[in-house]
Amino acid sequence: MIHAVKHHPALELLEQYIEASLAPELSLAIAAHLDLCPHCQRIKMDLEAEAGATLVSLSEAPSAEADWQQMLDFITAQPEVAAKMEKRQPFALQIQNSEILLPASLKPLLQNKLKWLNLGGISTAKLAGEDQHNVSLLYIRKESEVPQHTHLGLEITLVLKGKIYDESGCYGEGDLLINTPDHTHTPRTMSEDCLCLSVLTAPLKFKKGLTRLLNPLQHLFY
Amino acid sequence: MLDPTSVQRHDGSNYQGPGIQGSMSVQPQDNTQWEQALTFIAVDRDKQAYSQLFSYFAPRLKAFGLKMFGNEQQAMEMVQDTMLNVWQKARLFDASRGCASTWIFTIARNVRFDMLRKKQSRKDELSADDLFFDGDYPEQEGTDSNEWDLWLLAEKVAPHFAKLPAAQRDVMEKVYLEEKSHQEVSEELSIPLGTVKSRIRLALDRLREAIDDPRS
Repeated sequence: MIHAVKHHPALELLEQYIEASLAPELSLAIAAHLDLCPHCQRIKMDLEAEAGATLVSLSEAPSAEADWQQMLDFITAQPEVAAKMEKRQPFALQIQNSEILLPASLKPLLQNKLKWLNLGGISTAKLAGEDQHNVSLLYIRKESEVPQHTHLGLEITLVLKGKIYDESGCYGEGDLLINTPDHTHTPRTMSEDCLCLSVLTAPLKFKKGLTRLLNPLQHLFY
Repeated sequence: MLDPTSVQRHDGSNYQGPGIQGSMSVQPQDNTQWEQALTFIAVDRDKQAYSQLFSYFAPRLKAFGLKMFGNEQQAMEMVQDTMLNVWQKARLFDASRGCASTWIFTIARNVRFDMLRKKQSRKDELSADDLFFDGDYPEQEGTDSNEWDLWLLAEKVAPHFAKLPAAQRDVMEKVYLEEKSHQEVSEELSIPLGTVKSRIRLALDRLREAIDDPRS
Protein backbone atom coordinates (compact mmCIF):
# COMPACT_ATOMS: atom_id res chain seq x y z
CA MET A 1 0.00 0.00 0.00
CA ILE A 2 1.42 3.35 -0.94
CA HIS A 3 -0.92 5.39 1.17
CA ALA A 4 0.15 5.48 4.80
CA VAL A 5 -2.85 4.79 6.98
CA LYS A 6 -3.34 7.66 9.41
CA HIS A 7 -6.62 6.97 11.14
CA HIS A 8 -6.60 3.84 13.28
CA PRO A 9 -9.04 2.24 15.68
CA ALA A 10 -8.37 3.12 19.32
CA LEU A 11 -6.52 0.50 21.36
CA GLU A 12 -9.66 -0.12 23.36
CA LEU A 13 -11.55 -1.01 20.22
CA LEU A 14 -8.76 -3.35 19.13
CA GLU A 15 -8.79 -4.97 22.57
CA GLN A 16 -12.50 -5.65 22.29
CA TYR A 17 -11.95 -6.90 18.76
CA ILE A 18 -9.28 -9.45 19.67
CA GLU A 19 -11.39 -10.90 22.45
CA ALA A 20 -14.45 -11.01 20.17
CA SER A 21 -16.51 -8.73 22.39
CA LEU A 22 -17.43 -6.42 19.51
CA ALA A 23 -20.51 -6.92 17.39
CA PRO A 24 -19.41 -9.12 14.46
CA GLU A 25 -20.24 -6.40 11.95
CA LEU A 26 -17.91 -3.99 13.73
CA SER A 27 -15.28 -6.71 13.91
CA LEU A 28 -15.55 -7.01 10.16
CA ALA A 29 -14.67 -3.35 9.69
CA ILE A 30 -11.69 -3.75 12.03
CA ALA A 31 -10.59 -6.93 10.21
CA ALA A 32 -10.72 -5.09 6.87
CA HIS A 33 -8.74 -2.21 8.36
CA LEU A 34 -6.14 -4.71 9.58
CA ASP A 35 -5.81 -6.07 6.05
CA LEU A 36 -4.73 -2.60 4.99
CA CYS A 37 -2.70 -1.55 8.02
CA PRO A 38 0.60 -3.23 9.03
CA HIS A 39 0.78 -1.05 12.13
CA CYS A 40 -2.46 -2.45 13.55
CA GLN A 41 -1.57 -5.99 12.41
CA ARG A 42 1.33 -5.88 14.81
CA ILE A 43 -0.74 -4.41 17.62
CA LYS A 44 -3.26 -7.20 17.09
CA MET A 45 -0.53 -9.82 17.53
CA ASP A 46 0.77 -8.05 20.62
CA LEU A 47 -2.67 -7.84 22.18
CA GLU A 48 -3.24 -11.52 21.48
CA ALA A 49 0.07 -12.33 23.15
CA GLU A 50 -1.08 -10.35 26.18
CA ALA A 51 -4.41 -12.15 26.20
CA GLY A 52 -2.56 -15.47 26.04
CA ALA A 53 -0.42 -14.45 29.01
CA THR A 54 -3.57 -13.50 30.88
CA LEU A 55 -5.11 -16.86 30.03
CA VAL A 56 -2.26 -18.83 31.60
CA SER A 57 -2.25 -16.54 34.63
CA LEU A 58 -5.84 -17.53 35.52
CA SER A 59 -6.22 -19.93 38.40
CA GLU A 60 -7.34 -23.35 37.34
CA ALA A 61 -11.06 -24.02 37.39
CA PRO A 62 -11.43 -27.57 38.67
CA SER A 63 -13.52 -30.39 37.27
CA ALA A 64 -13.76 -33.99 38.36
CA GLU A 65 -10.68 -35.96 37.32
CA ALA A 66 -12.92 -38.44 35.48
CA ASP A 67 -14.45 -35.63 33.39
CA TRP A 68 -11.05 -34.37 32.28
CA GLN A 69 -9.94 -37.89 31.49
CA GLN A 70 -13.05 -38.54 29.43
CA MET A 71 -12.49 -35.35 27.44
CA LEU A 72 -8.84 -36.17 26.93
CA ASP A 73 -9.64 -39.71 25.70
CA PHE A 74 -12.28 -38.39 23.35
CA ILE A 75 -9.95 -35.79 21.86
CA THR A 76 -6.93 -38.03 21.37
CA ALA A 77 -9.12 -40.57 19.57
CA GLN A 78 -9.81 -37.99 16.85
CA PRO A 79 -7.73 -37.92 13.67
CA GLU A 80 -5.52 -35.06 12.63
CA VAL A 81 -7.15 -32.50 10.39
CA ALA A 82 -5.30 -31.38 7.32
CA ALA A 83 -5.13 -27.65 7.60
CA LYS A 84 -2.94 -25.16 5.84
CA MET A 85 -1.88 -21.71 6.87
CA GLU A 86 -3.01 -19.39 4.15
CA LYS A 87 -1.69 -16.05 3.11
CA ARG A 88 -4.07 -13.19 3.22
CA GLN A 89 -4.42 -11.74 -0.27
CA PRO A 90 -6.51 -8.85 -1.53
CA PHE A 91 -8.93 -9.65 -4.32
CA ALA A 92 -10.17 -7.69 -7.29
CA LEU A 93 -13.80 -6.84 -7.88
CA GLN A 94 -15.55 -4.97 -10.63
CA ILE A 95 -17.35 -2.06 -8.99
CA GLN A 96 -19.10 0.73 -10.88
CA ASN A 97 -17.09 0.04 -14.02
CA SER A 98 -13.66 -0.09 -12.48
CA GLU A 99 -11.68 -2.93 -11.00
CA ILE A 100 -10.92 -2.33 -7.36
CA LEU A 101 -8.64 -4.31 -5.03
CA LEU A 102 -10.45 -5.13 -1.82
CA PRO A 103 -9.29 -6.45 1.57
CA ALA A 104 -9.51 -10.23 1.95
CA SER A 105 -11.84 -9.92 4.97
CA LEU A 106 -14.63 -8.77 2.72
CA LYS A 107 -14.40 -11.68 0.33
CA PRO A 108 -16.96 -13.97 2.03
CA LEU A 109 -19.52 -11.18 1.85
CA LEU A 110 -18.93 -10.46 -1.81
CA GLN A 111 -19.74 -13.84 -3.30
CA ASN A 112 -23.10 -12.75 -4.68
CA LYS A 113 -23.84 -10.13 -7.25
CA LEU A 114 -24.15 -6.71 -5.64
CA LYS A 115 -27.46 -4.91 -5.78
CA TRP A 116 -26.76 -1.21 -6.03
CA LEU A 117 -29.22 1.46 -5.02
CA ASN A 118 -28.50 4.82 -6.53
CA LEU A 119 -29.36 8.13 -4.93
CA GLY A 120 -27.78 11.16 -6.55
CA GLY A 121 -24.03 10.85 -6.47
CA ILE A 122 -24.15 7.99 -4.04
CA SER A 123 -24.68 4.28 -4.56
CA THR A 124 -24.98 1.71 -1.84
CA ALA A 125 -25.04 -2.06 -1.78
CA LYS A 126 -25.93 -3.94 1.36
CA LEU A 127 -23.57 -6.78 2.21
CA ALA A 128 -24.86 -8.17 5.47
CA GLY A 129 -26.60 -7.43 8.67
CA GLU A 130 -30.05 -7.16 10.01
CA ASP A 131 -31.89 -4.95 12.49
CA GLN A 132 -29.40 -2.83 14.29
CA HIS A 133 -26.23 -3.71 12.42
CA ASN A 134 -25.76 -2.92 8.81
CA VAL A 135 -22.79 -3.56 6.57
CA SER A 136 -22.76 -1.93 3.16
CA LEU A 137 -20.52 -0.66 0.43
CA LEU A 138 -20.84 3.01 -0.32
CA TYR A 139 -19.74 4.36 -3.66
CA ILE A 140 -19.57 8.14 -3.70
CA ARG A 141 -18.94 9.77 -7.05
CA LYS A 142 -16.49 12.68 -7.19
CA GLU A 143 -17.72 16.06 -6.00
CA SER A 144 -20.63 14.58 -4.08
CA GLU A 145 -21.85 15.14 -0.58
CA VAL A 146 -23.54 12.79 1.84
CA PRO A 147 -26.35 14.75 3.49
CA GLN A 148 -25.45 15.98 6.95
CA HIS A 149 -26.38 13.43 9.54
CA THR A 150 -25.88 12.31 13.10
CA HIS A 151 -25.88 8.75 14.36
CA LEU A 152 -28.01 7.06 16.92
CA GLY A 153 -25.26 4.49 17.33
CA LEU A 154 -21.77 3.89 16.13
CA GLU A 155 -20.88 4.45 12.50
CA ILE A 156 -17.63 3.03 11.22
CA THR A 157 -16.50 3.93 7.75
CA LEU A 158 -13.43 2.37 6.17
CA VAL A 159 -12.07 4.00 3.04
CA LEU A 160 -11.28 1.32 0.45
CA LYS A 161 -10.43 3.50 -2.52
CA GLY A 162 -10.13 7.21 -3.18
CA LYS A 163 -10.49 9.95 -0.58
CA ILE A 164 -13.26 11.37 1.50
CA TYR A 165 -13.34 14.62 3.46
CA ASP A 166 -15.39 15.73 6.40
CA GLU A 167 -15.30 18.50 8.99
CA SER A 168 -12.39 16.87 10.77
CA GLY A 169 -10.12 16.02 7.88
CA CYS A 170 -9.21 13.90 4.90
CA TYR A 171 -9.34 10.12 4.84
CA GLY A 172 -7.58 7.86 2.35
CA GLU A 173 -7.26 4.16 1.70
CA GLY A 174 -7.26 2.15 4.92
CA ASP A 175 -8.32 5.06 7.11
CA LEU A 176 -11.07 4.41 9.57
CA LEU A 177 -13.64 7.06 10.50
CA ILE A 178 -15.54 6.39 13.67
CA ASN A 179 -18.55 8.47 14.50
CA THR A 180 -20.60 8.31 17.66
CA PRO A 181 -23.92 9.97 18.52
CA ASP A 182 -21.98 13.11 19.48
CA HIS A 183 -20.80 13.72 15.93
CA THR A 184 -22.62 15.46 13.14
CA HIS A 185 -20.77 15.33 9.89
CA THR A 186 -21.07 15.94 6.16
CA PRO A 187 -18.70 13.61 4.34
CA ARG A 188 -17.86 14.65 0.78
CA THR A 189 -15.64 13.69 -2.08
CA MET A 190 -13.50 16.08 -4.14
CA SER A 191 -11.77 15.23 -7.42
CA GLU A 192 -12.01 11.42 -7.29
CA ASP A 193 -14.63 8.76 -6.66
CA CYS A 194 -14.53 7.06 -3.31
CA LEU A 195 -15.47 3.54 -2.22
CA CYS A 196 -16.11 2.89 1.47
CA LEU A 197 -17.23 0.11 3.70
CA SER A 198 -19.85 1.38 6.08
CA VAL A 199 -20.95 -0.34 9.27
CA LEU A 200 -23.79 1.12 11.23
CA THR A 201 -24.85 -0.12 14.61
CA ALA A 202 -28.04 1.93 14.62
CA PRO A 203 -29.94 3.99 12.09
CA LEU A 204 -28.68 7.34 10.93
CA LYS A 205 -30.65 10.47 11.51
CA PHE A 206 -30.52 13.11 8.83
CA LYS A 207 -30.72 16.68 10.06
CA LYS A 208 -31.43 19.02 7.21
CA GLY A 209 -34.51 19.96 5.27
CA LEU A 210 -35.70 17.56 2.64
CA THR A 211 -33.10 15.00 3.52
CA ARG A 212 -35.06 14.43 6.70
CA LEU A 213 -37.50 12.67 4.45
CA LEU A 214 -34.79 10.12 3.90
CA ASN A 215 -35.01 8.96 7.48
CA PRO A 216 -37.89 6.54 7.11
CA LEU A 217 -36.35 5.28 3.89
CA GLN A 218 -32.86 4.83 5.12
CA HIS A 219 -33.14 1.11 5.52
CA LEU A 220 -32.97 1.26 1.75
CA PHE A 221 -30.33 3.86 1.74
CA TYR A 222 -27.67 2.47 4.09
CA MET B 1 35.07 -2.11 23.43
CA LEU B 2 33.62 -5.26 24.86
CA ASP B 3 31.69 -4.82 28.02
CA PRO B 4 32.56 -7.82 30.23
CA THR B 5 29.13 -7.83 31.89
CA SER B 6 27.44 -8.26 28.56
CA VAL B 7 29.39 -11.47 28.02
CA GLN B 8 28.20 -12.83 31.31
CA ARG B 9 24.63 -12.16 30.37
CA HIS B 10 24.71 -15.09 28.00
CA ASP B 11 25.03 -17.34 31.00
CA GLY B 12 21.65 -17.41 32.67
CA SER B 13 22.92 -19.00 35.87
CA ASN B 14 25.37 -16.18 36.53
CA TYR B 15 22.70 -13.65 36.06
CA GLN B 16 20.50 -14.30 39.06
CA GLY B 17 23.24 -13.88 41.64
CA PRO B 18 24.06 -16.15 44.57
CA GLY B 19 21.10 -15.14 46.71
CA ILE B 20 18.42 -16.40 44.41
CA GLN B 21 20.22 -19.32 42.91
CA GLY B 22 19.55 -21.72 45.74
CA SER B 23 15.79 -21.45 45.72
CA MET B 24 13.69 -23.55 43.38
CA SER B 25 11.44 -21.65 41.07
CA VAL B 26 7.80 -22.66 40.69
CA GLN B 27 7.75 -21.12 37.22
CA PRO B 28 8.29 -23.55 34.36
CA GLN B 29 12.06 -23.75 33.97
CA ASP B 30 11.76 -23.35 30.28
CA ASN B 31 9.54 -20.83 28.58
CA THR B 32 9.47 -22.93 25.46
CA GLN B 33 8.06 -26.06 27.12
CA TRP B 34 4.61 -25.79 25.53
CA GLU B 35 5.96 -24.72 22.17
CA GLN B 36 7.99 -27.94 22.13
CA ALA B 37 5.01 -30.00 23.23
CA LEU B 38 3.01 -28.65 20.29
CA THR B 39 5.80 -29.64 17.93
CA PHE B 40 5.81 -33.20 19.31
CA ILE B 41 2.06 -33.37 18.91
CA ALA B 42 2.25 -32.08 15.34
CA VAL B 43 5.02 -34.41 14.27
CA ASP B 44 4.41 -37.60 16.25
CA ARG B 45 0.79 -37.30 17.44
CA ASP B 46 2.49 -37.57 20.82
CA LYS B 47 -0.28 -38.38 23.31
CA GLN B 48 1.91 -37.95 26.34
CA ALA B 49 2.98 -34.46 25.34
CA TYR B 50 -0.64 -33.67 24.59
CA SER B 51 -1.79 -35.00 27.93
CA GLN B 52 0.63 -32.69 29.77
CA LEU B 53 -0.41 -29.73 27.68
CA PHE B 54 -4.04 -30.64 28.33
CA SER B 55 -3.66 -30.76 32.10
CA TYR B 56 -2.02 -27.34 32.08
CA PHE B 57 -4.32 -25.53 29.66
CA ALA B 58 -7.74 -27.18 30.05
CA PRO B 59 -8.45 -25.96 33.62
CA ARG B 60 -7.25 -22.46 32.70
CA LEU B 61 -9.38 -22.43 29.58
CA LYS B 62 -12.28 -23.49 31.76
CA ALA B 63 -11.65 -20.50 34.04
CA PHE B 64 -11.58 -18.29 30.94
CA GLY B 65 -14.79 -19.86 29.65
CA LEU B 66 -16.56 -19.38 32.97
CA LYS B 67 -15.55 -15.72 32.88
CA MET B 68 -16.81 -15.21 29.33
CA PHE B 69 -19.96 -17.37 29.35
CA GLY B 70 -20.89 -17.36 33.01
CA ASN B 71 -21.96 -21.00 32.94
CA GLU B 72 -20.27 -24.34 33.32
CA GLN B 73 -21.81 -26.14 30.36
CA GLN B 74 -20.75 -23.61 27.73
CA ALA B 75 -17.38 -23.17 29.40
CA MET B 76 -16.72 -26.91 29.10
CA GLU B 77 -17.95 -26.98 25.52
CA MET B 78 -15.46 -24.22 24.74
CA VAL B 79 -12.65 -26.12 26.48
CA GLN B 80 -13.37 -29.28 24.53
CA ASP B 81 -13.63 -27.56 21.15
CA THR B 82 -10.51 -25.54 21.79
CA MET B 83 -8.43 -28.47 22.97
CA LEU B 84 -9.72 -30.58 20.08
CA ASN B 85 -8.51 -27.92 17.66
CA VAL B 86 -5.14 -27.93 19.38
CA TRP B 87 -4.89 -31.71 18.92
CA GLN B 88 -6.09 -31.74 15.34
CA LYS B 89 -4.38 -28.64 14.02
CA ALA B 90 -1.10 -28.61 15.94
CA ARG B 91 0.71 -28.38 12.62
CA LEU B 92 -0.64 -24.87 12.19
CA PHE B 93 1.21 -23.67 15.27
CA ASP B 94 4.25 -21.63 14.33
CA ALA B 95 6.55 -20.80 17.21
CA SER B 96 8.15 -17.99 15.23
CA ARG B 97 4.84 -16.14 15.35
CA GLY B 98 4.28 -16.36 19.08
CA CYS B 99 3.88 -18.42 22.22
CA ALA B 100 1.73 -21.50 22.65
CA SER B 101 -0.51 -19.52 25.01
CA THR B 102 -1.14 -16.89 22.33
CA TRP B 103 -2.11 -19.51 19.79
CA ILE B 104 -4.38 -21.34 22.22
CA PHE B 105 -6.03 -18.08 23.26
CA THR B 106 -6.84 -17.26 19.63
CA ILE B 107 -8.39 -20.70 19.13
CA ALA B 108 -10.52 -20.33 22.27
CA ARG B 109 -11.59 -16.86 21.16
CA ASN B 110 -12.63 -18.18 17.74
CA VAL B 111 -14.46 -21.12 19.25
CA ARG B 112 -16.32 -18.77 21.55
CA PHE B 113 -17.22 -16.44 18.69
CA ASP B 114 -18.61 -19.29 16.59
CA MET B 115 -20.53 -20.68 19.58
CA LEU B 116 -22.20 -17.31 20.16
CA ARG B 117 -22.93 -16.98 16.48
CA LYS B 118 -24.51 -20.43 16.38
CA LYS B 119 -26.63 -19.68 19.42
CA GLN B 120 -28.06 -16.64 17.67
CA SER B 121 -28.62 -18.96 14.69
CA ARG B 122 -27.13 -16.38 12.40
CA LYS B 123 -26.40 -17.99 9.10
CA ASP B 124 -24.53 -15.21 7.42
CA GLU B 125 -20.97 -15.33 6.30
CA LEU B 126 -19.21 -13.82 9.28
CA SER B 127 -17.04 -16.61 10.67
CA ALA B 128 -14.29 -16.33 13.24
CA ASP B 129 -11.69 -17.67 10.83
CA ASP B 130 -12.30 -14.77 8.49
CA LEU B 131 -12.69 -12.09 11.11
CA PHE B 132 -9.66 -13.06 13.18
CA PHE B 133 -7.18 -14.01 10.55
CA ASP B 134 -4.22 -15.87 11.99
CA GLY B 135 -1.89 -16.32 9.01
CA ASP B 136 0.60 -14.04 7.33
CA TYR B 137 -0.46 -10.80 5.80
CA PRO B 138 1.25 -9.95 2.53
CA GLU B 139 4.53 -8.15 3.04
CA GLN B 140 4.06 -4.44 3.02
CA GLU B 141 6.61 -1.74 3.00
CA GLY B 142 6.23 0.13 6.18
CA THR B 143 7.97 2.49 8.46
CA ASP B 144 8.64 1.39 11.97
CA SER B 145 5.92 3.28 13.70
CA ASN B 146 7.65 3.06 17.06
CA GLU B 147 10.56 5.09 15.81
CA TRP B 148 9.82 8.18 17.78
CA ASP B 149 11.83 9.82 20.41
CA LEU B 150 10.44 8.80 23.74
CA TRP B 151 12.73 11.09 25.61
CA LEU B 152 11.81 14.24 23.78
CA LEU B 153 8.34 13.59 25.03
CA ALA B 154 9.36 12.69 28.55
CA GLU B 155 7.48 15.51 30.14
CA LYS B 156 4.31 14.66 28.32
CA VAL B 157 4.77 10.95 28.86
CA ALA B 158 5.33 10.93 32.61
CA PRO B 159 1.73 11.55 33.70
CA HIS B 160 0.49 8.70 31.51
CA PHE B 161 3.15 6.26 32.57
CA ALA B 162 1.41 5.55 35.86
CA LYS B 163 -1.78 4.64 34.03
CA LEU B 164 -0.23 1.82 32.02
CA PRO B 165 -1.38 -1.70 32.90
CA ALA B 166 0.94 -3.03 35.63
CA ALA B 167 2.50 -5.74 33.46
CA GLN B 168 3.47 -3.22 30.78
CA ARG B 169 4.67 -0.65 33.29
CA ASP B 170 6.98 -3.19 34.95
CA VAL B 171 8.62 -3.99 31.64
CA MET B 172 8.88 -0.34 30.62
CA GLU B 173 10.48 0.64 33.93
CA LYS B 174 13.07 -2.09 33.65
CA VAL B 175 13.91 -1.27 30.05
CA TYR B 176 13.76 2.52 30.08
CA LEU B 177 14.55 3.47 33.66
CA GLU B 178 16.82 0.65 34.76
CA GLU B 179 18.22 0.32 31.23
CA LYS B 180 18.09 -3.45 31.17
CA SER B 181 18.21 -5.46 27.99
CA HIS B 182 15.07 -7.22 26.78
CA GLN B 183 16.77 -10.54 27.52
CA GLU B 184 17.50 -9.52 31.11
CA VAL B 185 13.92 -8.42 31.67
CA SER B 186 12.70 -11.69 30.20
CA GLU B 187 14.81 -13.69 32.66
CA GLU B 188 14.06 -11.49 35.62
CA LEU B 189 10.30 -11.68 35.17
CA SER B 190 10.30 -15.26 33.83
CA ILE B 191 8.38 -14.25 30.75
CA PRO B 192 9.25 -15.05 27.14
CA LEU B 193 11.37 -12.56 25.23
CA GLY B 194 8.54 -12.05 22.74
CA THR B 195 6.26 -11.00 25.58
CA VAL B 196 8.77 -8.40 26.73
CA LYS B 197 8.93 -6.97 23.23
CA SER B 198 5.19 -6.99 22.72
CA ARG B 199 4.56 -5.31 26.08
CA ILE B 200 6.97 -2.55 25.17
CA ARG B 201 5.27 -1.98 21.84
CA LEU B 202 1.83 -1.98 23.45
CA ALA B 203 2.95 0.43 26.15
CA LEU B 204 4.50 2.76 23.57
CA ASP B 205 1.32 2.66 21.59
CA ARG B 206 -0.79 3.37 24.62
CA LEU B 207 1.44 6.29 25.55
CA ARG B 208 1.32 7.64 22.04
CA GLU B 209 -2.43 7.43 22.08
CA ALA B 210 -2.63 9.22 25.42
CA ILE B 211 -0.39 11.99 24.11
CA ASP B 212 -2.23 12.33 20.81
CA ASP B 213 -5.56 12.56 22.56
CA PRO B 214 -6.48 16.26 22.56
CA ARG B 215 -8.63 15.79 25.64
CA SER B 216 -5.64 14.90 27.79
